[in-house]
Amino acid sequence: MTRGFTIFRCRNCGAALFPERLLCPRCHGADFAPERRDRGTVEEISTIRHMIGQTDWKPRVIANVRVAEDLHITVGLLDSSGPGDTIDLYEKAGAPFGVAHGASLPS
Amino acid sequence: MKAAIIGVGQSPYTRRPESGQSAHTFIRDAVRAALADADISARDIDGMAVASFSLAPDTAVDLAWKLGLSLKWLLQDTNGGSSAMNMLGHALRGIETGAASVILVTAGDATGLAGYGKIAASYNIATRDHLAPLGHGGPNGVYALVTARQMKTYGLDKTDYGHMAIAQRAWAAGNPNAVYRAPLTMEEYLGAPMVADPLTRYDCVPVVAGAQAIILAHPERVPRGRPVVRVRAIRHSFNHDNQAGDGLKTGISTFADALWREAGVRPGDIDVACIYDDYPAMVLAQLADLGLIPNGDLKRFARVDIGERRFPLNTHGGMMSAGQPGGPAGGLNHISEAVLQLQDRAGARQVPNARLAVVTGYGMTMYRYGGTAAAAILERTA
Repeated sequence: MTRGFTIFRCRNCGAALFPERLLCPRCHGADFAPERRDRGTVEEISTIRHMIGQTDWKPRVIANVRVAEDLHITVGLLDSSGPGDTIDLYEKAGAPFGVAHGASLPS
Repeated sequence: MKAAIIGVGQSPYTRRPESGQSAHTFIRDAVRAALADADISARDIDGMAVASFSLAPDTAVDLAWKLGLSLKWLLQDTNGGSSAMNMLGHALRGIETGAASVILVTAGDATGLAGYGKIAASYNIATRDHLAPLGHGGPNGVYALVTARQMKTYGLDKTDYGHMAIAQRAWAAGNPNAVYRAPLTMEEYLGAPMVADPLTRYDCVPVVAGAQAIILAHPERVPRGRPVVRVRAIRHSFNHDNQAGDGLKTGISTFADALWREAGVRPGDIDVACIYDDYPAMVLAQLADLGLIPNGDLKRFARVDIGERRFPLNTHGGMMSAGQPGGPAGGLNHISEAVLQLQDRAGARQVPNARLAVVTGYGMTMYRYGGTAAAAILERTA
């Protein structure tokens, strides 16, 4: 798991995007710059207590997180952070995870 | 519009398909039921539209082959919860332009729970790569977040959604084809196991196996003695906001005014509403987008109009009680229910003198919420 999470910024109009698009939805430009975001703000959370088709599921927490003025992404929370909290972002194979700002990643 | 819905049919629904049952066999049973209802022969069909998550590797032409249908108009739709409405729109135009004269629209799925789980985890590239690795729980997790947002925005609590689940279950008691017909109490609703906070078991549409079919043709082909049901207006929306909003407004918000204008009626004229109900929050969102909730007061509408069944919403029980045999077939069941109500054929759940119905579709959870939506106004014309 690496520190920070990569979003994409349209080089033409500045729109923040995730996931990456083929064309910018705002200006239809095709040139994007990767942009690392280290932090985000949790807005809503949900504990996933049941997974369809699985019987040995361990609950996970997901969150709607604002990572830029005009961009929200869905993040896997690894601690008890909640709405209003600032979290540090991490990335694992293109998926975003987060823990409370300043906290260590769970072992 | 010159085309009419001349017949509807469904297969039995089941929670767990048995050996030998597949999307294909459920579709066959629904098609046979629709042909019988329309009082026509399979030889009369010259167009077909189909949507299914579990038809693969077969495609529409394979289904035509297996049903023995030789066609001059064929469509396979991929829009999930709004597939039924999308196919309806294409079929209407197919009849009206003369591309075909009798079009079968069908959908069905038999994924089983494990199969559904696999589809949910790999629904599109964004889901596969950016959501499933989080353990997001498929659409349950996505709409848990949307529901939390709606509760915060409109000051709703769990009981507000409970009124909808309970009311739809009460309607389902009058539908012999509904999978869940036993009365549901608020105590049971609130006490149900949490699936994805704040969604409990009764907020999550139950996956079943089954299929639906409807048939469109010139109104002259409506069986004798049966009222003609036509579509006064139909509109669609795809990727309305590039997933940049909060999900509390659906694509219906982009065309609702035009829909009512084209139909020449007002929200208050509607007798029956068949609103795509994968999650209660999205029902409220669609009703609000359609202008059916006075003053935007979602809480009052949920408690009084829906909860006391003053507003006939999803009178077949909706997918939440009738079952969801995949989004496409679930959407077709909403259209079928509107037809049955408008033809005074809805039995114990019949809404007296129903003349106008609104039907919607909503689906394709792309990343943060659904990206497809559609709505139509259906009328009884004779």
